[in-house]
Amino acid sequence: MTDAFSSSSEAVLHRGLDVTSETQTPSEDLVDRYQIRETCDFINNNGFQKVALQFPDEVLVDSVPIATEIERNTSAKLFILGDTSYGSCCVDEVAAEHVGADCIVHYGKSCLSPTTRLPLMYVFQKRPVDLEGCAAAFRELYPDTESHVVVLYDVNYSHVVDDLRAHLAPAYPNMVTSTLLLDHCHGNRAQQQLVDSGEGSDGEAVRLFGRRIVLKAGLGVLDYAVFFVGPEGATLRNFMMAWNRCPFSTFRPSVGIGRAERPSASRALMKRYYAIERAKDAGVVGILVGTLGVADYLEVIRQLKETVRRAGKKSYMFAMGKLNVAKLANFLEIDVFVLIACPENSLLDCSEFYKPVVTPFEMEVACNPDREWSEEYIIDFRHLLPGGRSHVPLANEQEAREEVDVSLITGALRTQGLSCDEATGPSSLVLRNQNLTVANTNSAASFLAGRSWQGLERKLGETPAVKAVKGRRGIAIAYEDEGKASG
Amino acid sequence: MVNFTVDQIRGIMDKKQNIRNMSVIAHVDHGKSTLTDSLVSKAGIIASSRAGETRFTDTRKDEQERCITIKSTAISLYYELCENDLAFIKQGANGAGFLINLIDSPGHVDFSSEVTAALRVTDGALVVVDCVSGVCVQTETVLRQAIAERIKPVLMMNKMDRALLELQLEPERLYQTFQRIIESVNVIISTYGEEDGGPMGNIFIDPVIGTVGFGSGLHGWAFTLKQFAEIFIGKLVAKVVMTPEERCKKVEDMMKKLWGDRFFDPETNKFHKSSVGPGDKKLSRTFVHLILDPIYKMFDAIMAFNKDTVAAMLEKLDIKLDAEDKEKEGKLLLKAVMRRWLPAGDALLQMITMYLPSPVTAQRYRCELLYEGPGDDEAAMGIKSCDSNAPLMMYISKMVPTTDKGRFYAFGRVFSGTVSTGMKVRIMGPNFTPGKKEDLYTKQIQRTILMMGRYTEPIEDVPCGNIVGLVGVDQFLVKTGTITTYEQAHNMRVMKFSVSPVVRVAVEAKNPSDLPKLVEGLKRLAKSDPMVQCIIEESGEHIVCGAGELHLEICLKDLEEDHACIPLKKSDPVVSYRETVSEESNQMCLSKSPNKHNRLFMKCRPLSDGLAEDIEKGDVSARQELKARARFLIDKHEWDSTDARKIWCFGPDGTGPNMLVDVTKGVQYLNEIKDSVVAGFQWASKEGVLCEENMRAIRYDVHDVSLHTDAIHRGGGQIIPTARRVLYACQLTAEPRLMEPVYLVEIQCPEAVVGGIYGVLNRRRGHVSEESQVMGTPMFIVKAYLPVNESFGFTADLRSNTGGQAFPQCVFDHWQIMPGDPSDPTCKVFNIVTDIRKRKGVKESIPALDNFLDKM
Repeated sequence: MTDAFSSSSEAVLHRGLDVTSETQTPSEDLVDRYQIRETCDFINNNGFQKVALQFPDEVLVDSVPIATEIERNTSAKLFILGDTSYGSCCVDEVAAEHVGADCIVHYGKSCLSPTTRLPLMYVFQKRPVDLEGCAAAFRELYPDTESHVVVLYDVNYSHVVDDLRAHLAPAYPNMVTSTLLLDHCHGNRAQQQLVDSGEGSDGEAVRLFGRRIVLKAGLGVLDYAVFFVGPEGATLRNFMMAWNRCPFSTFRPSVGIGRAERPSASRALMKRYYAIERAKDAGVVGILVGTLGVADYLEVIRQLKETVRRAGKKSYMFAMGKLNVAKLANFLEIDVFVLIACPENSLLDCSEFYKPVVTPFEMEVACNPDREWSEEYIIDFRHLLPGGRSHVPLANEQEAREEVDVSLITGALRTQGLSCDEATGPSSLVLRNQNLTVANTNSAASFLAGRSWQGLERKLGETPAVKAVKGRRGIAIAYEDEGKASG
Repeated sequence: MVNFTVDQIRGIMDKKQNIRNMSVIAHVDHGKSTLTDSLVSKAGIIASSRAGETRFTDTRKDEQERCITIKSTAISLYYELCENDLAFIKQGANGAGFLINLIDSPGHVDFSSEVTAALRVTDGALVVVDCVSGVCVQTETVLRQAIAERIKPVLMMNKMDRALLELQLEPERLYQTFQRIIESVNVIISTYGEEDGGPMGNIFIDPVIGTVGFGSGLHGWAFTLKQFAEIFIGKLVAKVVMTPEERCKKVEDMMKKLWGDRFFDPETNKFHKSSVGPGDKKLSRTFVHLILDPIYKMFDAIMAFNKDTVAAMLEKLDIKLDAEDKEKEGKLLLKAVMRRWLPAGDALLQMITMYLPSPVTAQRYRCELLYEGPGDDEAAMGIKSCDSNAPLMMYISKMVPTTDKGRFYAFGRVFSGTVSTGMKVRIMGPNFTPGKKEDLYTKQIQRTILMMGRYTEPIEDVPCGNIVGLVGVDQFLVKTGTITTYEQAHNMRVMKFSVSPVVRVAVEAKNPSDLPKLVEGLKRLAKSDPMVQCIIEESGEHIVCGAGELHLEICLKDLEEDHACIPLKKSDPVVSYRETVSEESNQMCLSKSPNKHNRLFMKCRPLSDGLAEDIEKGDVSARQELKARARFLIDKHEWDSTDARKIWCFGPDGTGPNMLVDVTKGVQYLNEIKDSVVAGFQWASKEGVLCEENMRAIRYDVHDVSLHTDAIHRGGGQIIPTARRVLYACQLTAEPRLMEPVYLVEIQCPEAVVGGIYGVLNRRRGHVSEESQVMGTPMFIVKAYLPVNESFGFTADLRSNTGGQAFPQCVFDHWQIMPGDPSDPTCKVFNIVTDIRKRKGVKESIPALDNFLDKM
């Protein structure tokens, strides 16, 4: 009977995941690659009793040997956390708190988003780099030794950066390398300094996506070219979007090739601008909670709700774990979704989704008339918060007026802002229109009115009463009688 | 010119029977603006304050430079009929003074939308035809539109001077030419008109009733048969005193004798019905003998510098010249004489006031076409009776830029009630439906103004039947809309354009930080032109779509200089394509939902010929009554009667030329997933699988559906993506094809260069459909079909290959399937698809079928 209502549990257990899991690391490399010694020190020094080890899917194969190794060297009880609810780059504090862990050790790629609750250690899973090849590629890409270059890298390669700098710094006096901002981990309880306040402007230190770059005095990011060590991916894309006027080049250690990247960011920005237009058109907004780990996510939800309300739109909040097309398409009423997630997971390609998914920044551009679309593209939502680098306060509610303009997508008019012309609060008296009575003009209700099927219909007298007949057996995936007939 | 204060103008506005709202329509270069000028100089109303300033209709600098009208412009004229002439007005009049609101419209096909907007606010049309080139493609287009809007036409046979001076046609030949033009116009009227003229009565044009004028706008002279009939009546019965009615009767009788197979015997002063008179005498036609002959003689005498003859004739005709004119010679003298003898203003203004309907007459029969609501509600009654005390109903047909950047006057016609400054009104856009709040704004009108050519004058209020501009409502309208005070009012019907925006250009700000200015500019452009479409594509490109190269050129110029005011980067023009199929799907397509519990079985096939066009015309539409639609499909397109009743929807946008039909039998829960399947269909038909262009002329049949018994597992999330996938699978299995837009080109040229035209057309994949000589002239007219994509630079190419002697007019005609399989790399279509995909930033190859098709 249970089978009639859901797929068999068997199927779920045997369902394959498309993860390219790596082959198990040989035990002799384990200690070095996963920094087991440092991990043990971290646990022992702080006297943690319960430790959560969070693994991304592709590193799960190594999880048991690592845990065994750590257990041998510490007295702590270990828990392995896998299948992280949102992105495996984020620290899953909620899962860790379920087991009452004192600290988390996060393995693999990380978005370096600051967390708030638990002490944390990152283990970046060192990847090998051909240092000579990388330096050679750098020299080839920047023949001028006076070039101003920022060196960025994927977290997996952080271990080689000091060597690389040692290699190149003598020849390139204007090269600067980024450092990872790890001050919120290693037992330092999260510092409430979430603000990367305006350091970028005076040409000293720029903080972005968990990295800190100290620029030469008097220069801005725009004066620099960027050299990125690592594969193509979210990290690189985010930097390219954020610094969309800098020339980028990359070195990919897996293939050992360096190349200049084509400036595709302006195209990408235009695509995002389309999403903003869609957001402006929307009447109903779905706020998707795509993280429970990144600091201040509650704050940004609150701000978004208010922004959306002031723009005269309705908002609903959704928490639905990992996103997929089918899940979002279940909510036909929603015109646009805003995803609150860590920077690495923020930019989604909307084309497969039934309704576009935008970032909090884009929603603000769409809803807050005081925020102008400029060159600056903000991916990290924390910059939008009060005190953040790019916070723009909402216009005064009294001053904010209803604004009407033309949508360049539908070609129709759209209204922004709360309509304040007629105060038709819930208690005010409205003259009843004799000919056309409309119960409700709210957007969800009018959506329901537009549907052809609105729920259970009684159809009294329309459907003839018949005796019960025997139907098909089984579930829709393959009814029992079907397997024989059609194979 | 007449000088009036605003109060005086306001006074005439109340005499609704004495108002004529009319547009001047014609093929390009047939002389509309020149003719209009001669009317304006005769009777144009200018506010006293503006007296002395001239140049009325061509308001834009580029219009004057290019000698082409781009925007339609309204001007008011005032004309007084004498007592005798008042008797000719059959629809009733209130005093002798007439207010004529005239709209001069562009003739170039690219600006046809301006004509459409002009026709909507007028009741009558002066159709101008160059009697040398005859009825041309654009004459037909605009006339067809006028008839469809129930606009009564009168005809002006223009450029007679050319026929006489350049072509030197024999009088009888000229008569034949006139006769043929009148016939062609009447053929158009009867083809597109309602049976027996419908509620408008007889709208055929006929010189005998006075609805045809002859003359030359350039020289400023014109006549109708009435002018000559009056002269003869005056001669014959000079002594007798008649009442206006009796006189009118006489004149009308006389007019009947002046056209057609009526012949005149000058010796006996008798009219005959055959060309052979008593005693086998060859008689000449009355029109030739009594009307053309004197004109020819005058022309000959003046052009031969035969001063004595001229003087004698002037004497005889009682034409008195100014001293200044007497000095003139040749063409100048000819002009002066003809103007005195047969002033164009009087002839045309009489024709307009006598034979074009007043708002009172016209709104009675136009109401059902204009108003979407029930024919007996207050608004409809107000329109029908043209009652200025009824609720306000006004249609805004276009937006006119003001001197204040970014703001517009809303230009339109009051059909019922009175619109006044400070009035609180409901502004309803095209998407408004009664009872809903969508596209509805309640706002105050800041100011009502009179639009007089370039100038505007504030006016307190304007009663129905008049044309007016509003200030302060532009923000709440995109291009057109309805303005009313009646709470239960429905919309006034939106205008149907004869051209489609098929040519597109991507624009980009040279400086990326100017993007917000560009967007703002595009929004303004979208408002200011009735036809242009400004859109942002999913790829982020900003696109401007227009009717043709010239239209786009003007739009982009306006965008750069007036609306956005920033330097722009423009791509080369490209055309929009459509995706279609050429066969039925070669298999039953199945797609499973993500949870594998729901299965959709569908097939697709092309719509039968002409059905897509019928959908676009509105003969078959989503809003239509179910039974009527089914009947139409069964009768005209041989649909199965059960299928015809089970159309789920049209798409894209719920109205497009594709259909989703339910052909399932006894599927449980089907009604529950209908909305989801429809949503998937709208999505897929907007972005087809080949290159994400709109689909066209495809019918999708839902053959079978199997669904999970539990509602939560067959929600939108499961069905919408699945429906989209199965639709794509259907499209891919049904020999998908690309469609391109095709222009109908009409080229006028001398015979010698016809060969050159063929060469140019062949190089550009065009083919000639018709070639004919214009009777009585050495000119040829070549009609051809030319893919829009090949039309860029066509005009210039044609000019250089024909020594500048051929002038093409291109008007969008139809969509045509491009030969070749888009997935075959050796085909041209393959490259087009790849280019589009590249431009849109999606994967270059067409996705394979197995992305969409699932196995049992």
